[in-house]
Amino acid sequence: MNDEKLANLVEIVPKRGYLSPNELIKQRHVEIEPPRVGLKRTHNENSPEELAELEIAYANLRTQLSVPRIERLAGRSLATYHKDQQVVEVLKKDGKFEHFGYSHKGKFYLEYYEALFLVELNRLQLEHEGMILSMEQNYNFLLGPAACDRYNHYLVYSCLSRLGYIVVRHRKPEVSRDDCIWALLEEKISHKPIVDDIRTSSFFNELQSQMEASTQRIISQEFQSQHGSTEFKYNFGKRKAYEEYSPASSTVRKRVCLPTNQSLVDVLKADCSYFKFKRIFQKFDIVKLAKTTATSYNDKIKLNIIFDLYLPNEGFRKSLCQTPSFYVVILPMGALFPTHNDIARLQSSVPLLIISVSESKQIQAFLYYIS
Amino acid sequence: MEFKVQCKRKRSHFKNNDAAPLPLPEEGLQYEGVFTGLSVDVTQPDQVKSLYDNGCFGKGSKSRGGPESGDPDESLRLGLEEACFLAYFLNVLQIKDLEGKVIEWNDFLNFSRELNERFMEHLAAYVYLKSKYWVIKSGIKFGGDFLIYKQSPRHFHASFLVLIQRPNEKNHFLAKNLKGVQRVAETSDKDVLLLSIEQSTDGESKTPENPSEAIEDMCIQETVVRRFNYSSFVQSKRQKKNN
Repeated sequence: MNDEKLANLVEIVPKRGYLSPNELIKQRHVEIEPPRVGLKRTHNENSPEELAELEIAYANLRTQLSVPRIERLAGRSLATYHKDQQVVEVLKKDGKFEHFGYSHKGKFYLEYYEALFLVELNRLQLEHEGMILSMEQNYNFLLGPAACDRYNHYLVYSCLSRLGYIVVRHRKPEVSRDDCIWALLEEKISHKPIVDDIRTSSFFNELQSQMEASTQRIISQEFQSQHGSTEFKYNFGKRKAYEEYSPASSTVRKRVCLPTNQSLVDVLKADCSYFKFKRIFQKFDIVKLAKTTATSYNDKIKLNIIFDLYLPNEGFRKSLCQTPSFYVVILPMGALFPTHNDIARLQSSVPLLIISVSESKQIQAFLYYIS
Repeated sequence: MEFKVQCKRKRSHFKNNDAAPLPLPEEGLQYEGVFTGLSVDVTQPDQVKSLYDNGCFGKGSKSRGGPESGDPDESLRLGLEEACFLAYFLNVLQIKDLEGKVIEWNDFLNFSRELNERFMEHLAAYVYLKSKYWVIKSGIKFGGDFLIYKQSPRHFHASFLVLIQRPNEKNHFLAKNLKGVQRVAETSDKDVLLLSIEQSTDGESKTPENPSEAIEDMCIQETVVRRFNYSSFVQSKRQKKNN
């Protein structure tokens, strides 16, 4: 039985060898004579010149195709796939891993899409139980055998990375004290709902009670003597400096995906001819813009931000908490595009890139502007 | 990433400096239109000219856009929303039926609702955009509800293709529909403006007594969806950096 099995086995002898430095140099830039230039021939003449020319052309083609594929020995990083934990652990690095991977308990790991991307670029050799994985096995292990969203995520990752963007897994921005104060103020003034992230932050309860206390103080007009107005000096110089410091453009940019409660099509009101007829037009200002309030957010958040996008040459570093240029939302297969309320609910101060992957795997990105 | 409205000027030498954005005839005078069952037709040549020159209302019955065929019996066809706006909001148009009887607001509303079950939403969107100084035309040739122009279609290309929907409707948000309409709009340098129109009270059942009452409890959400060319964006950023 065993012998039979063995007889059926085919031994594969790898066709590889090692080249000496001299041979290696010889193999560089092998020059192949270009095909004949001149007018295109439309029919066979069968003349001796033509036959000779054909022979040369075939020979050239053969040399071109039989140039040996030369690779640097150990020119790839080495990683191993842990099937039980479904993680890719890097064993040996080759080159810089600038924005790739993450460290956990002293070990360096790659995300599934990063691993597959590096394998496709021939920069990584992925092994499982000591065996090198084939391309098909890589896809199978890293993306799963069945069609799923992982495949689309990988597609978007690889496409954007190849274009030069720095794509990293979405990291929730840390909620600062200032963010909490602003959220509380906006809730008080324009009844904007407070996002859960801010509600659960450590500053929230403290600040909320502080604000309540000050409101009560203002309402009841009970000023304590140490807060007397005589000792208070307003530093105008400081305020001016602050105003100069904060450029107007940054505030405009900040409001991209936030509900502004302002119309997007108000531009013509700045037209000089509008002022002549302003009173007539204002009479028809009957239908109002809907205000985004807490009641518009009654259902659950359904948009998930998958990646953060940074521009190249902007000095991205993993250790720094920088604000990304875009948040990437990848629409699940067959999903509807997000509505005004879906976008408003995310309360994102960073522009959202809504990416849809069509059935033919074509990637299209959309930007939303909302009132 | 700031939003900027695109207004592309047309290569036209047409000039009309006296044109007003709304037709405002002298005191006591009114334009006359006949409701044919599909549109409101204005036939008197001086009224046709005045309506089209001041605010670009209507469409010539024998022309592609404004009444330009030069034919003496060409009439001006006003859409339902246009006619309703001129007649009951601006009070400059008298709408009569084929027998010459004046149609009042309630009857006109009922006729229009029969023709278009979303007439109230369309009317609200029309008045909303009109109050913002846009010239509004039918959007049927680009697959939308309205096209809105700066100044006049003679001087500018349309800036937006407007789609109107009710809040619970999802049809425009289907990937193929949104991408399709976006592609059509983008090839002609327009943006897609989705207006979601919500009525706070249930106004379907009752017939409102006057025009402003009919639309005052409606509110609008605006969404503009623009395709983002991520490959040219990163390239342009790189070039800026290199320079």
